[in-house]
Amino acid sequence: MRLLVCLMAALVLPVDAMAATYVVVIEQMRFDPPTLTVARGDRVVWLNKDLFPHTATADANAFDSHDIAADASWSYVARETGRYAYSCKLHPTMRAVLNVR
Amino acid sequence: MKLVHTALAATLAFASIACNAQNAGPSDPQIASIVVTANQVDIDAGKLAETKTKSQNVKAFAQQMVTDHSGVNKAATDLVKKLNVTPEDNPTSQSLKQGGDANIARLKTLSGGSFDKSYIDHEVAYHESVLDALDKTLIPGAKNVELKALLVKVRPAFVAHLEHARHLQAELAKSGA
Repeated sequence: MRLLVCLMAALVLPVDAMAATYVVVIEQMRFDPPTLTVARGDRVVWLNKDLFPHTATADANAFDSHDIAADASWSYVARETGRYAYSCKLHPTMRAVLNVR
Repeated sequence: MKLVHTALAATLAFASIACNAQNAGPSDPQIASIVVTANQVDIDAGKLAETKTKSQNVKAFAQQMVTDHSGVNKAATDLVKKLNVTPEDNPTSQSLKQGGDANIARLKTLSGGSFDKSYIDHEVAYHESVLDALDKTLIPGAKNVELKALLVKVRPAFVAHLEHARHLQAELAKSGA
């Protein structure tokens, strides 16, 4: 059984293994990098290094982390291509862009 | 006129550290006390505003102040414990506390549009004063690297808060509050 799972994983993984993980650091009221371009299926992790909550919320709500506490993170798999401008709902001056190709 | 008084009080509070700076500047335990008091004063005002304002925008701002300044104060308190520093009361922290108490006492007598205007005007003056103090006295004066790093780290939040408060101030002026 274990062998079967391994075998299946081996078949499935190559597709998934192509997917990359990117980290956007939230610190000092900024998203870093402010513009990030990823491929469809990639994972984006927002890591909040500030001392209070932030959100990563796409303008048309294509994604919304809701509150990410200090020192916490939120991860999102980008499924749909497009240009997503997003901001922190709590601090609207914080803006950035996620491009999904 | 009352507003001028509070704004002035806030400015004077920080001006006294500037004077101090000409001598030796505040010590790290004094800076720790100033930081914690400055945050606490704004948390208290925010808590009052949350319950008193009728404006959704002012309420959201007040909640933001409570959340953000509480986060900063938790980090400051944790750092102070880690460094084994006892925050030391000083003329600046004392006058910040007095200014904060006077602000709360005055806000309690107001309601509606005049409450919102007074609260937001004070928030603008307060954040301007704090930024000025951070830049001229607290950041240059902090000796411990971790304390200095904390001050540098929180500075952008004060800038964003000031921008947010100014935006609300302009909105309130337009609506004739």
